[in-house]
Amino acid sequence: MLRSPVARFPRRCPALLALLALLAACRPDAPATRVAAEAAAPQHLRDDLGRALTVPAHPRRIMALAASMTEMLYAVADTATIVARTQVCDYPAAALRKPIVSSYPLDLERLVALRPEVVFTTVGITSEADAQRLQELGIPVYYQQYDTVEDIFRGLTDLGRILGRQAPARRLTDSLRAELRAIRALPIPNPAASVLAITWQDPIYVYGQNTLFTDKIRLAGGRNAVVEKFAQPYPALTREYILKLSPDVLIGGSFGQLDSTFFRLYPELRRLPAYQTRRIYGTTDNLLSRPGPRVVESVKELRALMLN
Amino acid sequence: MTRPALPWIMACLLLMVGLLAVGLRVGSYETDYALIGRTLLHYDARDPAQLVLMELRLPRLLLALLAGAGLAMSGYIMQAMVNNALADPYLLGTASGGALGASLTFLFLPGLTVAGFYAPPLAALLGALGTTLVVVVVGSRRGRIVPTLLLLAGVALGSLTTALGGLLTFLAATEEKLRTITFWSLGGFERASWATLPYPAVAVGVSLGVLALLHNNLNLLLLGEERATALGLPVARTRWLLLLVASGLTGTVVALCGPIGFVGLVIPHITRWLLGTTGRGNLLFCALLGGNFLVLCDLLARLLYPPAGLPVGLVTALFGVPFFVYLLRRMGA
Repeated sequence: MLRSPVARFPRRCPALLALLALLAACRPDAPATRVAAEAAAPQHLRDDLGRALTVPAHPRRIMALAASMTEMLYAVADTATIVARTQVCDYPAAALRKPIVSSYPLDLERLVALRPEVVFTTVGITSEADAQRLQELGIPVYYQQYDTVEDIFRGLTDLGRILGRQAPARRLTDSLRAELRAIRALPIPNPAASVLAITWQDPIYVYGQNTLFTDKIRLAGGRNAVVEKFAQPYPALTREYILKLSPDVLIGGSFGQLDSTFFRLYPELRRLPAYQTRRIYGTTDNLLSRPGPRVVESVKELRALMLN
Repeated sequence: MTRPALPWIMACLLLMVGLLAVGLRVGSYETDYALIGRTLLHYDARDPAQLVLMELRLPRLLLALLAGAGLAMSGYIMQAMVNNALADPYLLGTASGGALGASLTFLFLPGLTVAGFYAPPLAALLGALGTTLVVVVVGSRRGRIVPTLLLLAGVALGSLTTALGGLLTFLAATEEKLRTITFWSLGGFERASWATLPYPAVAVGVSLGVLALLHNNLNLLLLGEERATALGLPVARTRWLLLLVASGLTGTVVALCGPIGFVGLVIPHITRWLLGTTGRGNLLFCALLGGNFLVLCDLLARLLYPPAGLPVGLVTALFGVPFFVYLLRRMGA
């Protein structure tokens, strides 16, 4: 009877097999180890919205549906595991090389085709209806929410734990905290200037009290001019209300830009101390608006404006 | 049947004074009547509270008043012109055309200014009048306006511009743009200023004058085209003139305040219900009532959701519709 070469192989080369097994055991990503990892118990998590979800023990295909979250992933994750970005993700430059999945309207088919094992996003960017649809398709969606700068550090730590990247996350948060301590050790102007940050001119939308901006401007040595808490994080304000707030500093564009647009539209607001003293500044938009690992850089930028 | 309009007009004027007095008190700054009196008699722009009263609250109230008057008159004219109780100022696609024009600038015009001019009101006016023109071209035959055709063309073009507006809203890339378009398409008076008040003031003033002269013609139109012609009315010319007045009024209001719904439909009905169909004081009363109604709605909007207030178009519908339904039931009884 003829025997197949494969069947004969084990009996003829036991030494070779032993050698292969030894080599396999020495390589960290060898099949044997991978099998063990796959067998590891999945993680049962609760995200910042309190939603329960199950994520593989070591997610190897991940993506974010918010530009800030893509920055968070690039800061913590193994970048080879990031399978896509959205049309608005433009930082870091390396992200631009990833395939694009439209986040609004959500391109479900393209997202599913990329087979992410978990999708990360932030509250307010991805609708819970979209998240629910993704969950039904077997893709867990993990939400993070940040009210303070410390929340972002906690978010980075969380991501590190979920992705098995505790050490890089720890190094990053340690260095960010140290940088922030150094900024705060510098003398701050007293009393703190009240700062109004506008996001849109007509109607006038501003960074409300319950946004990350409040904490960032506090750390930068100023204070958010909007003290009242509104239902919307970025409330629309009337000119009368802004006159009453009487901010010392206005953020939303350079003096020249706002003088020819905003103050032309609302000439009454030229009475504001910010206009009278020309303390009107533009900031790097994707720094001010994105709650990501560059948050300390954003605080630094605001700090420089406070000292002007 | 007509009833004397004078008592009703006097009542409306009194109500207007009362509403303006209350309206001047409502806002972020604490103000009292002594301060209001001082501001009106000896205005001092260095006092922020006086500045707020004079430069923000008063123009806002006056804009609401003029917008209400303009829309109510426009609705009255439209209902008479096409002899249909369902007609309103936006019959000619003005609202959706205006909203489309403004949305285009919000989405595609960074800085929102063209040659130093703030573009959205201008674009809204162009959108409103452009749509009206198309509707009128479709709705007329050999130089004569055909009411049925005009109604159908208005509905069809209105749907088309609404769909285009919906497409733009859907494409809005940022949350702010989306909110701006939504905010704008529901109407409001936050942009009021002395610089823009002359436009609606002139529109309303001129329209009241023209309509005072056309009063009899307007009533004859209600008899139907054949009888009106038999009684010597130049129907075609009258309709064109009324159309011009109505679209001028609506276009101006839409450009400055956005498309505020409902007021132009319901106020003319209330007017005719109170004063009869053909009264000489009908239009003046209709204008005053419309103005008062919008001032009241704006007040409610600001009280319900301070400081920016709900979009006034929401309030006109939320509070106006139940009242209108009540009136319909009363009329039916």
